[in-house]
Amino acid sequence: MTQATKITGGVLAAVVLVVWPWLTDDRFLHHVGVLIMLTAIGASSLHLIIRTGHVSLCHAAFMAFGAYGSVLTVMSLGLPFPVGLLVGTGAAALLAATIGPIVLRLTGKYFVLITFLFGEVVRMAIVENVALTGGSNGIFNVPPPHPIFLDTKAYYYLALAFAAFAVGLCARILGSEFGRAMNAIRDGERLAECSGVPVIRFKVIVFIIACALAGMQGSLMAHYNKVLSPENFSGIISLNLVVMNVIGGMSSLWGALIGAVFMVMLPELLRGYVNIQHIIFGAILFATMAFMPGGIIQAARHVKAMLSAKPDAPAPPLARTGAAE
Amino acid sequence: MPKLSVEGLKVTYGPIVGTEGVGFTIDEGETVALIGSNGAGKSSTLKAILGMVTYEGRVTYGGEDLKGLKPSKVMRKGIGFSPEGRRVFPQLSVLDNLRVGGISRPQAELPERIERIYGYFPRLKERHSQAAGSLSGGEQQMLAIGRALMSKPSLIMLDEPSLGLAPVIVERIGEVLTEIQKTEGLSVLLAEQNATWALSLSKRAVILDLGRIRMTGDAEKLLDDPEVRRAYLGI
Repeated sequence: MTQATKITGGVLAAVVLVVWPWLTDDRFLHHVGVLIMLTAIGASSLHLIIRTGHVSLCHAAFMAFGAYGSVLTVMSLGLPFPVGLLVGTGAAALLAATIGPIVLRLTGKYFVLITFLFGEVVRMAIVENVALTGGSNGIFNVPPPHPIFLDTKAYYYLALAFAAFAVGLCARILGSEFGRAMNAIRDGERLAECSGVPVIRFKVIVFIIACALAGMQGSLMAHYNKVLSPENFSGIISLNLVVMNVIGGMSSLWGALIGAVFMVMLPELLRGYVNIQHIIFGAILFATMAFMPGGIIQAARHVKAMLSAKPDAPAPPLARTGAAE
Repeated sequence: MPKLSVEGLKVTYGPIVGTEGVGFTIDEGETVALIGSNGAGKSSTLKAILGMVTYEGRVTYGGEDLKGLKPSKVMRKGIGFSPEGRRVFPQLSVLDNLRVGGISRPQAELPERIERIYGYFPRLKERHSQAAGSLSGGEQQMLAIGRALMSKPSLIMLDEPSLGLAPVIVERIGEVLTEIQKTEGLSVLLAEQNATWALSLSKRAVILDLGRIRMTGDAEKLLDDPEVRRAYLGI
């Protein structure tokens, strides 16, 4: 892609994202739009962690810290929403800075297991700590960031702004020298360390940034839903974020975004089949991993390469290159 | 004063001894070969110097004790490392592999450094945008050496650079190593099973067997030593 087509594409996408809510009065569509934007923050931030070769199953725990931190700041202390958002994001970052240096020494299945357990510990702590969090009943009547955001369309623009910030930050990191080092860590931790990459320090920094963004999403989600319960932060939510990355494709940030759109819209499209929804989910996940291990993004690249290739030139291999972004 | 000094090095993996009582020095600009068969303790020695394994004994570089430093710190002191099995970052492009190797240098220096390495290994330039995993064995070895050179080391440690490569490629790598050493004034620690080749490139050599030093001396003399010829050169 040339620079010019990239810029044109970017401007076009931005225009579409800003203009579409005005083309319909369907509040439900606006609602789905909000969910996609907020979910994109979680999926792209988890993508950062995945790009260092770690699959975290506790991303929802950091969302919980962000959500409860923000809501309690606003409702118990009576402080304005921006302060709540900062407190929530900061609490998630602080938690990541505390556990990151410990858990990031583990790799592979051990990291997956320990993060899963940690996610459950956080959820249980919320359930048990009734006085502070309302336990399983959760917290009701969470105020919106500002009365104008009671309108779903208005909230969409708030979510869009934060999603643009989060995704832009992730893209910026991945495109930098730091991002190249992250790819090196994924490709071979020990080799990266021997090449001069301070592996643990880099992984902890990535983890803190990613979890802070998850906390930000948690806060925005809580003030949008107006209710908040521990079940919003169960292992399934973390797992869904991983699935988004797998289905979309783990080699590029676009994969996380495509996965987020896909996974948020799919349940809405399958409304008529609620009872077998999870079976369809499972089948799609299974098919993705078996037939397109690089996810939707890689399949799309492959198709594009086949279309643009000269008839006698062989198509490029389907392997993940990881070099892009 | 020697550039690198290793004294009484002992590396153990649980009950298994990797090396014991290994000691040697490398002077500035000198090439020292570390020769031995599989399991002789060559890799353990290199890993200890780099801080990848814990060890007893003392390793100093430019007079500074390296014990307790992580590999990323050790290599920032000026030690480049090309590990065994021509390890590269397979999904990264050739160019990105080199850039990662230069992560400890100021960004502005990288283009000049990369051009220099392309000068040593023109094949890498031709393949600069290709994923490193798709290179041939010889090209991957060149990339591994090139990456280790990116940090502008004053000592480069090469673990079995000849392993599994065609003789003509091995010769080529030897020539380039000599050339690089001349232009950059590098010290080289060359761990090898291919004793003839390693001795022909080195000034001195340390011969390891079952984790201990068997013999040490001038490379030329070792090449003529009957015991060495029988045991390591197959003559």
